[in-house]
Amino acid sequence: MIVGVDAGGTNVDAAVVGEDGVQETAKLPAEDVSATVLRDLFREISDGYTVDRVVVSTTRVLNRIVQDRLPSCSSVLVPGVGLAVEHAFAADDNQVVRGCIDHRGRVTESPVVDAEPRHPVVAVTAKFSPRNPSVEEEVAEELEADVVALGHEAGGRLDFPGRAATTAANARSKPAFQEFREAVASATEDLSFNAPVYVLRGDGSMVGEGKASDAPASTTRSGPASSSVGLLALSGERDAVCVDVGGTTTDVTPAVDGYPLTREGYEHDGFSTFYEGVSSGDLPLGGDTRVTEDGLARRREDYAAAFGGEAPAFTDALNVLGAGVGDTDASETAFADAGLSEADAETVVEEYVAELSDAVESAVEEAEGSPEVAVFGGALAGCLSSRLEEEVDLDVVVPEHADVCGAVGCAAAKVSVRTEVHVDSPRGRMTVSSVGSRSKSVEKGRRYSGEELHDVVVEETVEETKAAGGDAGVEDVEVLDVRRFNVVEDGKVEGEIADAVARVKPGIRWL
Amino acid sequence: MTLEIVYHDDYLLHEHSPTHPERRERLMYTMDQMQEEGVFDLDMVELVEPEAASEEALARVHTPDYLDRLKEMSMRGGGSLSGDTHVSEHTWHQSRLAAGGVVRGCRDVVEDSCESSFVMARPGGHHAFADRGHGFCFTNNTAVAVREIQESYDEVDRVLVWDWDAHHFDGTQEIFYSDPSVLTMSVHQTGRTLFPGTGYVDEVGEDEGEGFNVNVPVLPKTGDSGYLRVVEEVFEPVAREYDPDLVFVEAGQDCHFTDPITDLGVTADGYRRMMERAVDLAEDVSGGDLVASLCGGYGIEGGLPYTNLAVVASMAGLDTSNIREPAVYQPPQRQPDVDDVVAKVKSTHDEYWNL
Repeated sequence: MIVGVDAGGTNVDAAVVGEDGVQETAKLPAEDVSATVLRDLFREISDGYTVDRVVVSTTRVLNRIVQDRLPSCSSVLVPGVGLAVEHAFAADDNQVVRGCIDHRGRVTESPVVDAEPRHPVVAVTAKFSPRNPSVEEEVAEELEADVVALGHEAGGRLDFPGRAATTAANARSKPAFQEFREAVASATEDLSFNAPVYVLRGDGSMVGEGKASDAPASTTRSGPASSSVGLLALSGERDAVCVDVGGTTTDVTPAVDGYPLTREGYEHDGFSTFYEGVSSGDLPLGGDTRVTEDGLARRREDYAAAFGGEAPAFTDALNVLGAGVGDTDASETAFADAGLSEADAETVVEEYVAELSDAVESAVEEAEGSPEVAVFGGALAGCLSSRLEEEVDLDVVVPEHADVCGAVGCAAAKVSVRTEVHVDSPRGRMTVSSVGSRSKSVEKGRRYSGEELHDVVVEETVEETKAAGGDAGVEDVEVLDVRRFNVVEDGKVEGEIADAVARVKPGIRWL
Repeated sequence: MTLEIVYHDDYLLHEHSPTHPERRERLMYTMDQMQEEGVFDLDMVELVEPEAASEEALARVHTPDYLDRLKEMSMRGGGSLSGDTHVSEHTWHQSRLAAGGVVRGCRDVVEDSCESSFVMARPGGHHAFADRGHGFCFTNNTAVAVREIQESYDEVDRVLVWDWDAHHFDGTQEIFYSDPSVLTMSVHQTGRTLFPGTGYVDEVGEDEGEGFNVNVPVLPKTGDSGYLRVVEEVFEPVAREYDPDLVFVEAGQDCHFTDPITDLGVTADGYRRMMERAVDLAEDVSGGDLVASLCGGYGIEGGLPYTNLAVVASMAGLDTSNIREPAVYQPPQRQPDVDDVVAKVKSTHDEYWNL
């Protein structure tokens, strides 16, 4: 069995899922997901099942970003030669270290580490580090820091400014992610799960917790990723708009051909990454959104009165109209105490549905018109689906277990890593980059046929997938690009440089 | 300042032979460098993909017989135009695409959809004549684009072609030799020591084009200061007096000191300074309309990534203070001066220009 856990900003959901579908589900209100909360949740759902794997999705990093609670970071850069290093300044303390790696990964100027980072959280990024990780490692060893993120661990893409920003984002995310990782580890150990733990990334794929710890900023869009993957798995729809109403936000994500659409990059107030994430439109409205006499206040203060809060919120408005969610009496009292009427409740629900239908229509447009269905999830989906259906030109479905779609999404995720192989045979080196980069030796001067290179990248992709906790076979690998050229020195061919890119096609279990 | 970079992945297809200096990695290493620098993510830079030049555009410059021969040889799978200029199955397509890239760059600049354009194409074109090609060149991309632009836009009468490739631009010179609507100027390693063996000071143009071709052959090892002096004392005064509507730079990066088939001493910083002068010149004479097209350049590892970056950064108005070769590459210490050749150019062109 797979245990999926979706730790959102206000609730934590869990599901036990096997080949026969969803077996158990649970939902607990929790703003801070501690080991105790997780232990209670695991205990509630896993009794009697053999747990093969735990897959978690957390918005902890995202919440800290939005609340401006991430630590500051010193970014130590080894820019070598090229454009002005200021293009890669991504932290409030940026320090430059001399040293240079060239495009073939050769150290053409040795690093001279004279940086003194102002913060205990440090990012180290060198230009061309995916072609040679050693300089970043060497620099990091000479720095005093509590937390270090390295550029080549951010991913293999050639983009020094983007990598510097992403590495700083990883460094700043590490402490919050580590807390969450420890809470999960403690809970699973207490219950003797003895099962590997995976983490959902913002693109809807999962990765082993160790790899995720190197690049925790890749989890920033895992909220909409888990819910959209879950809604597709639960509904069996392949082209759809996935809608998840949470406590604080509503995520609207288009999906085409069995997978959510993704886009590159995330940015919020100086925190920026180049990671792929699902392409969701996030409405700042959810069940806990405060309702005042002016309508929806577009902010969350507390739980809705129906779930223990004091002041009226959107869920309470639905209850006033007869939805029957949680403690309906508390909703009615809170509404009355605030001087709000049933007509006010109707107004805010109409306001919400109007905004949601605009977002759904934008998602259909983004998916170039292919979705004919909206799959609706979250605890309030059942109360809102018929209203949404009246406003949009789509069928609206609420699949069974839609209230815990994020947890199901975690259980349904697969490992999918894009792997880039760079061979420099005159140097006898190969670098393999996916989640992080590693180097290995190859026969000096070796020249590859197209077929051999194809086989190399497939083999390395399978290897990287395994290292990330997956179990892909050769047949699951899709080769995206292969190119190579001779290296000529003194009029002789001394070998070749080859680049190949492949991936395990992203996908959803049971779809 | 917005800069358009014109590039197509198909520019990597054509190969002369496995060890030929004009190889696809000339562009691949540069693309690696630009990607790692984040050049294509900058707001002021746009990467665009060109289309092949039309056969009509090619026919304005080249003879039908030559185009038929080139096309047929390429379609057949290969052949040779000369000992070092080999035709492959990709040559016809790629030459048209290279010419199309230069046309695209010129059009976009003239139509103001960008301020300047850098065309990163191969094969180059400046050794291609109307009826033959050699020196790794098949179609004269610059001439095809200049003729297309002059034909299409009333506002472009006069074009300045400034060629700083290490080799003399024999094909371009001949195509425009009697045409005063195109001022052609070349600074190159003297033909006494380098292919194609032409490009002497007294080749000044003929008939109506007399005085509109300026050659400055420099000695081996000439470096940044020599090149800058040629720019200041010859090219800039002539260009200002000519007052072109479009400034076109044949950006040969083979004057770099690491180039394996030439013998000059220019650094990435020298290229940066030359391009800054070209940008300033274009500001003054052509309302900023400037197109540069990669020509030669075979210092694949130590030269091209840095010279191309220097040129692109100068055109985009970026901070260039950290653009240089890594310290493992050192330029020659002793460089000849250009006193004699500058004096000779001035006296030869005295009757045509105020030098």
